[in-house]
Amino acid sequence: MNQAAPAPKENMGNPIPRVDAGLKVTGQAGYPADLAVANVAYGVLATSNIAKGRISALRLDKARAMPGVLDIVSVGDMDGVDKPKFGNTGASSIGPLHDRTIFHDGQIIALVVAETFEAAEEGAMQISADYTQETPSASFDSAGAEMEPAAGKSPLFKEDVNAGDFEAAYSTAAVKIDQTYSTPTQHHNPIELFSTTAMWQGDKLTIYEPSQNVTGWKIELARQLNIDPVNVRIVSPYIGGAFGSKGPMTARTAIVAVAARRVRRPVRCVVSRMQAFNTQTYRAETRHRIRIGAGKDGRITAFAHEGWEVTSRPDPYVVGGTSATGRMYDYGSVLTRVSLVHADRNTPGYMRSPPETPYVYALENAMDEMAVALGMDPVQFRRINEPQKEPIGGKPFSSRSLINCYDQAAEAFGWSTRDPAVGSMRDGDWLVGMGCATAIYPTAAAPCAARVRLTADGQVRVQCGSHEIGTGVRTVAAQMAAERLGVDIDKVAVEMGDSALPPAPVSGGSISTASVCSAVLKACEAVREKLFVAAAGNDGPLAGSGNAKLDMTNEKVVTETGKSAKLADVFKAMQIGAIEEYAEFAPNGSSPEALKKLYAGQAEFHGGDQDKDSVKYAFGAEFVEVRINSYTREIRVPRMVGAFAAGRIMNTRTARSQLMGGMIWGIGQALHEATEIDQRHARYVNRDLQDYLVPVNADIKAVDVILVPEVDHEVNPAGVKGLGELGNVGTAAAVASAVYHATGRRIRDLPIRIDDLIT
Amino acid sequence: MRINGQVYNLGLDNRTSLLDALRDHVGLTGTKKGCDHGQCGACTVLIDGKRVLSCLSFAVMNEGREVTTVEGLASADDSLHPMQQAFIDNDAFQCGYCTPGQIMSAIGCISEGHAGSEDDIREYMSGNLCRCAAYPNIVAAILQARDEMRRA
Amino acid sequence: MRPFVFERPTNISAAVALVSSFADGRAPTQADVQFIAGGTNLADYMKLGVARPRRLVDLNDLSEPALRQIRISDGTIRFGALVRMGEAADRGDVKRHCPLLAESLKFAASAQIRNMASLAGNVLQRTRCEYFRETSWPCNKRVPGSGCAAMEGLNRQHAVLGTSDACIATYHGDFAQALIALDAVVDVEGRHGTRQIRFAKLHQLPGDTPDVETDLAADEVITAINVPFSEWSRRSRYLKIRDRESYAFALASAAVALDMDGDTVRQARIALGGVATVPWRARLAEEALVGKRLDQSAAETAADAAFAEAKPRRHNEFKVPLGKRTLVRALIETRDMKV
Repeated sequence: MNQAAPAPKENMGNPIPRVDAGLKVTGQAGYPADLAVANVAYGVLATSNIAKGRISALRLDKARAMPGVLDIVSVGDMDGVDKPKFGNTGASSIGPLHDRTIFHDGQIIALVVAETFEAAEEGAMQISADYTQETPSASFDSAGAEMEPAAGKSPLFKEDVNAGDFEAAYSTAAVKIDQTYSTPTQHHNPIELFSTTAMWQGDKLTIYEPSQNVTGWKIELARQLNIDPVNVRIVSPYIGGAFGSKGPMTARTAIVAVAARRVRRPVRCVVSRMQAFNTQTYRAETRHRIRIGAGKDGRITAFAHEGWEVTSRPDPYVVGGTSATGRMYDYGSVLTRVSLVHADRNTPGYMRSPPETPYVYALENAMDEMAVALGMDPVQFRRINEPQKEPIGGKPFSSRSLINCYDQAAEAFGWSTRDPAVGSMRDGDWLVGMGCATAIYPTAAAPCAARVRLTADGQVRVQCGSHEIGTGVRTVAAQMAAERLGVDIDKVAVEMGDSALPPAPVSGGSISTASVCSAVLKACEAVREKLFVAAAGNDGPLAGSGNAKLDMTNEKVVTETGKSAKLADVFKAMQIGAIEEYAEFAPNGSSPEALKKLYAGQAEFHGGDQDKDSVKYAFGAEFVEVRINSYTREIRVPRMVGAFAAGRIMNTRTARSQLMGGMIWGIGQALHEATEIDQRHARYVNRDLQDYLVPVNADIKAVDVILVPEVDHEVNPAGVKGLGELGNVGTAAAVASAVYHATGRRIRDLPIRIDDLIT
Repeated sequence: MRINGQVYNLGLDNRTSLLDALRDHVGLTGTKKGCDHGQCGACTVLIDGKRVLSCLSFAVMNEGREVTTVEGLASADDSLHPMQQAFIDNDAFQCGYCTPGQIMSAIGCISEGHAGSEDDIREYMSGNLCRCAAYPNIVAAILQARDEMRRA
Repeated sequence: MRPFVFERPTNISAAVALVSSFADGRAPTQADVQFIAGGTNLADYMKLGVARPRRLVDLNDLSEPALRQIRISDGTIRFGALVRMGEAADRGDVKRHCPLLAESLKFAASAQIRNMASLAGNVLQRTRCEYFRETSWPCNKRVPGSGCAAMEGLNRQHAVLGTSDACIATYHGDFAQALIALDAVVDVEGRHGTRQIRFAKLHQLPGDTPDVETDLAADEVITAINVPFSEWSRRSRYLKIRDRESYAFALASAAVALDMDGDTVRQARIALGGVATVPWRARLAEEALVGKRLDQSAAETAADAAFAEAKPRRHNEFKVPLGKRTLVRALIETRDMKV
């Protein structure tokens, strides 16, 4: 055991090393752009350098004349191809090569295909366009930006939640705040570049592309190309970080497929880091107004959260985090309202904890302000407002270990040593500040299928079209199968990341472990049942034992009384060599069409605040210490502690790593990350990792993750709450609170930088 | 050019980066492209024993040099390099994409003598971004491997 | 990237001959030919289409041993032009005689880049201005006369000192701040022979011609950097303030060396990074300290003098107070060094 492999506590699985670790440390794990393809041609995108207007002339001659250039796909070359659709699977409705309209900066205007990458790249550089330009609207305050209520505009956000009479309660509250907060544009920037490799064999198309949703993409790509989904296969065995960016399919996939068809050979297009900022999705900037009213005793009587989000001109992408913030505490009354602002930008998409990262940041920063206004310890303030039921629908929480998390994290952090007086703590030239915040993430699951095969020699194969984006889903699926089938994990092979496998939902919303493990569990139970019937049957090696009390361990079927039969002997009795079971899991409350939708590439999420019986969330508490140089005001985070409860923990190693990574993401949100927009031109300016800063190794010192035991049988059969998106919720607010504690400056607009503290 | 001990005679475009030469022409795709502009460290390899960024080097400039990639680390019997094992033991990655670059950089960090303390390791490993943010585990892995490599 | 001819000469004169041999007898330009050593700046800009040389002359096979040596003698540290940043940063004698030099190298870029980048190439690195890097923006430095998108654009990273109406791009290097503070001299060889250039004359203010960045002709190559040092340059350091702890350009930096007589400043050497268009010697600040007792107030007076002429734009106003505080902190920390 080492720090990376915490000893399991109650309801936690062993910290087994990742089953694909060996491949990853030797360079053998095949990410989509690594997969060898014979006779491949290289594609490079050319993109617009205006944000709004029409292409009046596209100049391709110089590029066509370049040695090695094979073909150029541009506007007008998408005949017979349908436009992309905006929705769960499609990133945007913008079909960049379908017409001459420019909707945003960096929009694809052509794909140059050449014998070599170098020729394609130089070809793309030689493409120019004349435009009829219009003045673009960059963001919230731009002329021409259009605002509308978000509720009902997207299936993701049906309504603004409300409870009680906010205005009345707020007007009479003894203590109140009314503040605005904002979060900037952010890009996922996984280290793996985006890429598409398209290959046709007759009318069959294979795509290698990093994807969080191979089944959904298969269906959507077939629709765009007007071909039978049976003829489309999406392959994505390893994904080099995703964070939401590889969930929605972008227009490029079909464009590369068209190019491959035209040049009659495979085409690989690896998108540059710069171009990815505009051709993929991102987290749009948000604004918030929060009003909180409370009695002198600290009980919140009134809570209002209004949010504004930017989206593209045609697509109503919304995150709407008020459904979580509106249920966070025991508010006496709730008023929420979310608005969308359409600007001339590429369509945003989901990015790690899409609603919670910005909305809970605003709420928790406000909670800290409110605690200050009340003269109350911020932990105590949250304790006082801990609800028995959520305030919107009055439903119970399936489990809620928030206070337990606060207690454990506060203890480990040494919160009691904090002097609450602002600016009171110092270490030499460094001002010291401490802050805390709540993390919350809805627990959901979606229908999922899996196939499990057990052979007489104890080998297990698990097949599931889910996606290994670094979460460890391959490992926990293997663990689940190994545990239920009583074999060593080394004997379990897991196949994922291929639309030819049994379908799994999009790997988003922290649903994968719950959904995949529930499906694998169900398939394993069916395998066990067959074995048990045979083992305990008249001709079986455990005849007369009664199969209800059998179990599997050490490649044996065992009885309660200690009798056992080797797997090989059970198989021998059955006169077969393998058992293979295909299972379809659907969460409680699934619609009759849920499984049909799974095969159609649509995930029907259940859980969170959508269920009738209870609301289902995972919780955590995060504590942060900041140090701010008294001269130069740079902000550093020497240590942070997070305690999280998320139902059954399948593997303490992968769970801790995900939560730790999330907390460090929170540091990036708080202090580093922002996509800067030139407001005059609606163009991103810092489109690379030189100027879009994310934390580096030296920024991160002590990160302590506490896994708080929690048992919740209500959430799903596996008892698992997702935690991939829990860790980074709240962190930025904890940092903002700590910065206030150190300096007396309340920074409400992220990121918090030297600029904010120097004068 | 010698790559992992083997001589390659490659007829390449002058414009081809060492990174693209390794990936597209030699078939060694363990070395990763994360930015192609020297900003992420995913393409780190050793040239004549020193860690460098293969994306910022034209392949043609490396004629006659010895290049070591992640594929060249395991010993003849396929047993892992202590750094590779330490990365597994300490869960020093999640998605694994930056990992080959981290491992090559970590080996360089130790051989340069910059792994004396945790703070040194953090500073001298800051040229390798990990978006999954496994940084504390990477530092732990390097400490483990450093001690094992010293013993060996 | 434009296709280029690749040359790999084996001595300096052959390298110079390669860049002097143009048929029409005219002086070569950077579009004709560029030298490459580490490539960390040039390869990046070639990929971006900012640099498009037709010929590349690789200096890495030059056989003159002095190009790869650091020699310390008679109060001068002589760095061969091809010495890599990492090697120079790690040299014990450089750290001992002049910590400022080693620190300015150590806090630059990343370990991998420092292993690649030559010292001469490092001081010649071009600005990282976002609008310069992307060819779709107007930029007077890249395309003379096209305008400056940064002036009214996002200019948080940009310079407040040494700016002109044509350009506000920051010089982002660190080592050059140490060199200009210490009055370094560079040895240069070109088709007209060898010459020495005072480091302070190497980089050109943008003025009306921000495309002209240095005093070097396209056929000239730096062969060595000579840095005079004294006993007192042991009291020197480089303080770099940035948005993250490492691997980022300076928002503000200060190179400081102090010749102290007890508490009193006999002589001060000060250069500022991250805030100016070129390596920036803060002579007014130096003068303000001479003969003074170096306390907080004297440091603040010197910092005020250093930034008296600062011209901030909309997003980089913070660099004035930050630059001042960086200098004050560097002065106090250098004063307090145990040497």
